[in-house]
Amino acid sequence: MNPALRRMKDLPSTHLLGAGSAMCAGCGGLLALHEIYDLLGARTVFVNAASCMTLLASYPFTPFRGSWLYTAMASAPAGAQGVRDALDILIGQGRLPPEEDLTAVALTGDGAATGIGLSATSGAIDRGLDFIYLCYDNEGYGNTGQQSSPATPLGARTATSGGAHGHAASKKDLFAIWVAHRPVYAATVVGADPLDLARKIDKARALTGPRLIHALAPCPPGWSFDPAEAVEIGRLAVKTGVWPLKEYVDGKVVHTHVPHPRLPVEEYLKRQGRFRHLFEPERDVQVLARIQSQVDAYWAEVCA
Amino acid sequence: MYRIRLHGRGGQGIKTGSRILGSAFFGAGFEVQDAPVYGAERRGASMAAHVRAARSPIRERGVITRPDLVALADETLLQVPAANVLSGVGPDSVLLLHGNGDAETWRARLAFSGTVVVLPAAGEHAEAELGGARCAGAAARLAGVISRQQLMAAIAQELASLGPSATETTTAQALAAYDAVARHAGVLRESRPAAAVAFAAPEWIDLPLESARIAAPDIFAAATSVEMRTGLWRTMRPEIDYAHCNRCAWICSTLCPDSAIRVLADRSPEIDLEHCKGCMICVSVCPPHAIRALPERAARARELAAAP
Repeated sequence: MNPALRRMKDLPSTHLLGAGSAMCAGCGGLLALHEIYDLLGARTVFVNAASCMTLLASYPFTPFRGSWLYTAMASAPAGAQGVRDALDILIGQGRLPPEEDLTAVALTGDGAATGIGLSATSGAIDRGLDFIYLCYDNEGYGNTGQQSSPATPLGARTATSGGAHGHAASKKDLFAIWVAHRPVYAATVVGADPLDLARKIDKARALTGPRLIHALAPCPPGWSFDPAEAVEIGRLAVKTGVWPLKEYVDGKVVHTHVPHPRLPVEEYLKRQGRFRHLFEPERDVQVLARIQSQVDAYWAEVCA
Repeated sequence: MYRIRLHGRGGQGIKTGSRILGSAFFGAGFEVQDAPVYGAERRGASMAAHVRAARSPIRERGVITRPDLVALADETLLQVPAANVLSGVGPDSVLLLHGNGDAETWRARLAFSGTVVVLPAAGEHAEAELGGARCAGAAARLAGVISRQQLMAAIAQELASLGPSATETTTAQALAAYDAVARHAGVLRESRPAAAVAFAAPEWIDLPLESARIAAPDIFAAATSVEMRTGLWRTMRPEIDYAHCNRCAWICSTLCPDSAIRVLADRSPEIDLEHCKGCMICVSVCPPHAIRALPERAARARELAAAP
């Protein structure tokens, strides 16, 4: 661990990301991005797949201090490849001094990361592309009204899963998909734990090759909770074991935080309107038990 | 044809209001169009929706540039140029204002030549959230061609998927607004369809081809988003009690998603009210509870009172 990142006090107190972006009040994705940008620094190019964050840089306004490139939903990793190649060629030909190199970051939501853009991502990892893939995961297509995505969790109500028991499938495991590709680095983070996040970004930026930062992004309108609770919801996701904080480095998965004692998942679920139908008008005992048992099984394996 | 534009903030139900009004007109036998303007419908951000209703087929499309009625759910949007609340109004237009104050003062303040109808807002949270439905109820009465039953049927139809309690609250608010403007019933008149001869081409400005550094210098500038005053989205305002602030490890500053809390040299946090969207995360994460939440309206009233 970088000894410079031991305590909250070691985090930057001035912020690089400009205020005034069009993200919703209390956006958990913006929270993670603003913390991550402070550590990556201004010499970063964001290659943004269509998503909520499309609205970050709407001409002539941008919260970034450097370049931002917009791509279609499926092609952020391909865009990052183009940026990386261009920089390498310019530096190789002596047309750009090496100290003016930039970090290419693909920035996408969970729809692009786990669904529409997965194939381009897989190819980029195969090619060993030197980039960071930052996925802010609000567990649905938030920009268009929270339709379900492959990252939507079991039981959640979305605009397209309105049945009595909510979303019927379980959340696709993006971290495991990345690990199966044996990348240089992969980590899960949440803006509500800025110190854990900072240590992982610090580690990732020192490495070369494909790197995943998967940030849970509590979404006040999409998950239906008061924006003031965005940080508390993120903390509860960790404390209930729903969102494991972990990293993959040197071929091993390490959990950076093992919740102990682990709170019941209901503590997390009952704070969000998207799960209200599991509690009212009567408890959906079966779905609640399935969600809890999935989380229990995960941690039983981790702690075995 | 009735051309009605609803304005408000994301979260007030402006789109829902336009659907209720559209369905109510339809129930009253009109041909109808209703549509929100797609864009950044963030909670608190400026939002608009359009309703056209006519007794014959509607061939107009797109946004309403010359509204007969502008229904405004949140008067504070009048200060936001980008909201374009009064765009295209004329002496025959009606402005329905969901807010405080009297109609004559508003007419004078806005130099508005048409009719102003004020729908009093109690300013309570639930009422503000239902601003769209309240505007729809009042607009229905101003047109004078929609009955209470038709309004109630439209609400029941539009909110069916949200359950009986949402329908009940919305109906109560919309009917209260419908009754509150009773003495203005019929003030809203249909205007004639736009004639092709009256079409005025937009004025074009020809710009010479310049290099990007001259023609669009902003694309080379950093963090220009600060020009966007997102502080105008706020309905609640955080206020730091410096006597109780620990000067801690800038927890509020780190956890503010919008980079709207900076830390000064003496380690005191300072909230940037020009950009704070009022999410109130800082209020809930401050360890010594040294930040409190004030309704924005009250905070502004206090500032006005304190001004010399």
